[in-house]
Amino acid sequence: MKPEFDFLKSIEPDPGNLIKGLQLLQATEGYISEDGIRAAAEYFKRPEADVEGVVSFYAQFKRVKPGKYQISVCDGTACHLKGAPLIHEWLYQELGLRPGETSPDGVFSLETVACLGCCSLAPVISVNGKVHGKLDRKSMMKILKEYAAK
Amino acid sequence: MSTIVKFKIGMASCGIAAGGEAVLEALKKATTLPIAEVGCIGHCYAEPIVEACLADGTSVMYSNVKADEKSISNITNLGKENRFEIPAARKAKELLKVLALAGKIVPTDLNDYLANGGYDGLKKALEMKPEDVVNEVKLSALRGRGGGGFPTGMKWSFLAAKPGFDKTVICNADEGDPGAFMDRSLMESVPHQVLEGMLIAAYATGASRLVIYCRAEYPLAIKHLKIAIAQINEAKLNVFGDRTVDISIKEGAGAFVCGEETALIASLEGQRGMPRFRPPFPTDRGYQDKPTMINNVETFGNIPAILREGGENFAKTGSEGGRGTKLFALAGDLKYPGLVEVPMGTTLNEIVFEIGGADREHVKAVQTGGPSGGCIPVELFDTPVDYDSLRSLGAIMGSGGMIVIGKDRCMVETARYFLDFTHRESCGKCTFCRVGTTRMYETLERIAAGKGCEADLDMLEDLGKKIKAGSLCGLGQTAPNPVLATLRFYRDEYLEHVNDKKCRALQCNALVDLALDKSKCVKCKLCIKSCPVNAISDDFVIDPAVCTRCNSCLDCCPKKAISRVAKGE
Amino acid sequence: MSIEFFLDGRAVTAEAGQTIMDVARANGIEIPGLCGEKRISKTTSCFVCVVKDKKTGKFLPSCSAIPAPGQEIEVTTGEVLEMRRTALNLLLSEHNGDCEAPCTLACPAHAAVEEYVRAAGNGDFEKALKIIKERIPMPITVGRVCPRFCEKQCRRNIDGEPVAINEFKRLAADRCYDTYMEDLPELSGKKAAVIGAGPAGLAAAYYLRLNGVQSTVFDQMPAAGGMTRYGIPEYRLPKNLLDKEIAHFSKMGIEFSFGKKLGENIQLDELKAAYDAVIIAIGCWQASGMRCEGEELALPGIDYLRNVIENGCTAPNPGKVLVVGGGNTAMDCLRTSVRLGSKEVYCIYRRTEAEMPAEKIEIHEAKEEGVNFRFLTAPVKLEKRNGKLVLTCQKMTLGEPDASGRRKPVPEAGSDFEIEADTVIAAIGQKTCAPEGVPVDRYGCLAVGEDGVTAGNGIYGAGDCVSGAATVVEALASGRRAALAVIRDLFGTPIPEDNPINVTRGKWQSMTKDEIVVLRNDLADYPREKLSFIPLEERKNTFKEVCSTMSAEQLASEVKRCIECSCSDKEECKLRKFAGEAGCKTDAYSGMRQKASYDVRHPEIIQDRGKCIKCGVCVKICKEVVNKSLLSLQKRGFDSCIGTAFDQGLPESCRDCGECIKACPTGALDWRKKR
Repeated sequence: MKPEFDFLKSIEPDPGNLIKGLQLLQATEGYISEDGIRAAAEYFKRPEADVEGVVSFYAQFKRVKPGKYQISVCDGTACHLKGAPLIHEWLYQELGLRPGETSPDGVFSLETVACLGCCSLAPVISVNGKVHGKLDRKSMMKILKEYAAK
Repeated sequence: MSTIVKFKIGMASCGIAAGGEAVLEALKKATTLPIAEVGCIGHCYAEPIVEACLADGTSVMYSNVKADEKSISNITNLGKENRFEIPAARKAKELLKVLALAGKIVPTDLNDYLANGGYDGLKKALEMKPEDVVNEVKLSALRGRGGGGFPTGMKWSFLAAKPGFDKTVICNADEGDPGAFMDRSLMESVPHQVLEGMLIAAYATGASRLVIYCRAEYPLAIKHLKIAIAQINEAKLNVFGDRTVDISIKEGAGAFVCGEETALIASLEGQRGMPRFRPPFPTDRGYQDKPTMINNVETFGNIPAILREGGENFAKTGSEGGRGTKLFALAGDLKYPGLVEVPMGTTLNEIVFEIGGADREHVKAVQTGGPSGGCIPVELFDTPVDYDSLRSLGAIMGSGGMIVIGKDRCMVETARYFLDFTHRESCGKCTFCRVGTTRMYETLERIAAGKGCEADLDMLEDLGKKIKAGSLCGLGQTAPNPVLATLRFYRDEYLEHVNDKKCRALQCNALVDLALDKSKCVKCKLCIKSCPVNAISDDFVIDPAVCTRCNSCLDCCPKKAISRVAKGE
Repeated sequence: MSIEFFLDGRAVTAEAGQTIMDVARANGIEIPGLCGEKRISKTTSCFVCVVKDKKTGKFLPSCSAIPAPGQEIEVTTGEVLEMRRTALNLLLSEHNGDCEAPCTLACPAHAAVEEYVRAAGNGDFEKALKIIKERIPMPITVGRVCPRFCEKQCRRNIDGEPVAINEFKRLAADRCYDTYMEDLPELSGKKAAVIGAGPAGLAAAYYLRLNGVQSTVFDQMPAAGGMTRYGIPEYRLPKNLLDKEIAHFSKMGIEFSFGKKLGENIQLDELKAAYDAVIIAIGCWQASGMRCEGEELALPGIDYLRNVIENGCTAPNPGKVLVVGGGNTAMDCLRTSVRLGSKEVYCIYRRTEAEMPAEKIEIHEAKEEGVNFRFLTAPVKLEKRNGKLVLTCQKMTLGEPDASGRRKPVPEAGSDFEIEADTVIAAIGQKTCAPEGVPVDRYGCLAVGEDGVTAGNGIYGAGDCVSGAATVVEALASGRRAALAVIRDLFGTPIPEDNPINVTRGKWQSMTKDEIVVLRNDLADYPREKLSFIPLEERKNTFKEVCSTMSAEQLASEVKRCIECSCSDKEECKLRKFAGEAGCKTDAYSGMRQKASYDVRHPEIIQDRGKCIKCGVCVKICKEVVNKSLLSLQKRGFDSCIGTAFDQGLPESCRDCGECIKACPTGALDWRKKR
């Protein structure tokens, strides 16, 4: 295992801990790289193909490096009813991004999430985990501008 | 008037998302009095909420608090602005048992919980024989709150019957229904209550491992649970004589299907979360091939009270179709979205209109059970909400998501939305679910795009029934429900889409144009500026070929001169 | 410990650990299933094996479900079969591949094109001929005159020219026809009468003989061959070759009786009494008229051609010739006229060249030989004036498409004009001239049942007299069907049907080259081999065959152009087999198919993900049996697929044990066995 993945050693090297390990990998690297998969396979004693299978099953795991600001648009039922499709449309117009894409300058990346559990504030997005609720076009553009300026 | 002795501020996810952190900071600057960061009282629409606790034991609540000086001083001076009273209709209908302490105590403070009767249930259980504890749960007639509605006591007895202590009890906290947040709220607000329920289960069933499988999307819940677990370990609340119960949290990684028992276990074992054929049932061979039982968060949340007050007393609340209370996450087109707790058997009318404050004129239906459930039209709102009544209408109780659907929502689009979700969440194992839900989704897309035909509706019904019959797990067995229910109650809307190419709710973009009423227009050009695709000409004509129906112009028009109209009109 | 339960009401016994499927099999009930594999842990994925628990109403995967005592299981009820059919239909709807190659599907005789092309291209002409003759018993003729349905659908058309499929047939036949003899079974004693010694009748007699039935072929003419002898000109099909081809039928023991015309010197009743079956294959020998005033002054095209052939390719110079019609018979008349010395030959056709039913190559060669074309021209009146024929024509324009999809010609008012000629030939079409007592439909064709060949009362029909004038290959296919229907009715053996399940990735016309070329990474990109023609002057003045047969070297080069579209697993594929048995339809559900994702990086193994049913059997075999874990299920839902680590393909550590291939129910994993 490459030394840069030594942080995995904080977890028991049990094959059943693979998902935990992958979560740590993603938290550390921001995504799951090929080297990360190799390291996890070796450390948790799982075949590489198997690890790929697990990584690609779960929505949480990203195989490409995300942008500096990860925008997650909630498409839970309440948010959908309250305009999540429009939010996607606005984001596409403003940033040119569809879910799963990262802007060329690496600032923003966009994903859809099932439900952030903030249904009473619908529609909501989260940016790097911070939830912004009761959005309309204007307030969303303002939020984008703030992040872009940071 | 009494003086303020302490403040409470709602700092669950909903409170934080509404701006609670800034309010907390501002409040800290403005007062030296203690500020307790509590959980959610269920009135999410009113967040951020600050409660000023008075010396006489009463308190004054403030809603929608802003972080500015004026708002804060209004509170510290017990001003009249923004005072919050729980709406009377809701107060009358609600029965807070599981949520009794939510928003009242500090979630991460064990002593606060203990001071409010916390762990009395466990204490009482430990004085009983394990089989008597199981019996007490049986007496309560509690049924699983995760969706299936299986009798909890019976489930416990299966696990208890297995010899030895090498068994696992799992708390399913992978609340995957979009639109449901009961479990999140419970874990954030009263983590000890959930853990107490789990410890009682461990004692009663002889399990020596407790595992919480929680969505990674709930960081605050995980944080609170971790703190609570450390406190339990420290206080040795998990030690039953010579037996120590190990408690751990595993984070899910984003897969709706992991709400399914066997998929959840596969995921815990570090595998793809794919269900397997049963038998063997988890109680025979589950986590790490050892006997295992899985209950949902809310189910565990009910357990301490059952032990405290006795199963028979518990069963006095509720109706034939379900005992006790049920939490619902109310959302959608209503005035008071939030978390409510009512006795089983409360009618939809009471929940949606009296508690939720929805507008009778405006409501079309309610969707229960999320993507696995069905819609119930407003005409049937005198239905009592319990397991059996909902099932008879083609809906399900599910975990408790309840989305109110207004008249301006298209039912085809609603069904399409749910199928979009389920077909993407299908693990891909069973043919019927993997391919069948995709075919249903594509057909709904076609219908919403005005390209469907009447035969499509029959195909949806036929295929939907077959998918339900030919799938291994709950996901496939319920995925067609939203389509079948909307076809049952709103077939006329489908027919309009396929025959007349009309969407009466003006929601399906392919069947809608944006139109500008020149008699209302004041030529301010805001619409032209707002249009991201330059679809509006200088003489205020919207080009339907360019327009993406994004509503930007409609939203910004000060005169409301722009509206959605049926295509070609 | 054994238990008792019920399968379709019948009490059966299950031993411990036996699944419902196991018990059913032990009791003689085969339940189809794609993903059950005993050596690995349960997959329970395909749901093709469902059965119903009568009491609970639940459908259970029988490969996994263990029966409970007293359980009543429904295995073959309509409802259960419908669930299975739906599961298979759903799998077919996402299946992305070609069971059969488009050439084979396009061939009316359903000849195994890809297979004979490969055999002949590799130099094994004997094998190629054997494959060809399974469906095409007149390969010398078809190898020359076929309009090549196969080549029109060849995906190589994307590069401009299809693989020269018919040339493989022609060379294989030219090389091996004389020495090749079928394995003939013993005669059963049953006898059949075949009326008409054209391709349909010959094929019927051929396949009857291959199934042990002796037949006598009756024909009104003095020699066998029907239209291939009396309609097709010598320069397209030399008669010495046709003689050679037909001699083989006699060698097989088939008897011929010439100069016998049904309704004249042979009667249906007599034949019915003397034979166990009668196959009528009398063709379409009556020419249609021009349907205009003076039409009787025109020579019928087929009569014109027959006359020339019967006279050994000699006839007086017809002078200036007008041929009315745009089909292949019209082309034959035109080009025959050129060879008879006519200096002015005109084709009169009422639509444009694009609508002409004649083969493009025929039109092209006619033009080369100096034939003039008058398109958008229709005859109005034919009359004799001063010893010359005068054809009055009118100009047409194309209007709305008619029922055939072709744009209907509409006359232009006042556009009449006259053409003078020595000979006017009507090559408009042909009809059957059925004698009395033969059942006919409203078009005058022989009336047959749904199977296309059975007319009842021991009478069968085949060829042009059933379908109307068509091609040799269609007549051969029809004759074969009639023979197999006779065999079915005489011996009770069902007709061996081709599997009706043919998933296809589409026609080349709607595909891109990247979509088309997928399974070969060594495809030749040079153009089609050229035929060598005799000099144009020789063509115009003699009836010599226009072009010679391609050489073996040419075909060895041409075969490398074949894309090999068909599935390598088409014979073993369980999905295809069960879907065929269940009466599935490939278009029962429409929608997105799996992404075509072919992996031919491994030297021995093809991974063709478009054909994967995601059962994961290969993954488990590699993990649990082979102990390698080189494969895994990846992604989820509709997008789930079988993959390798980092999508690098099967690595070197794969020891080619083939266990995954053996276990794969479809062609998603297979040996590269076509090489």
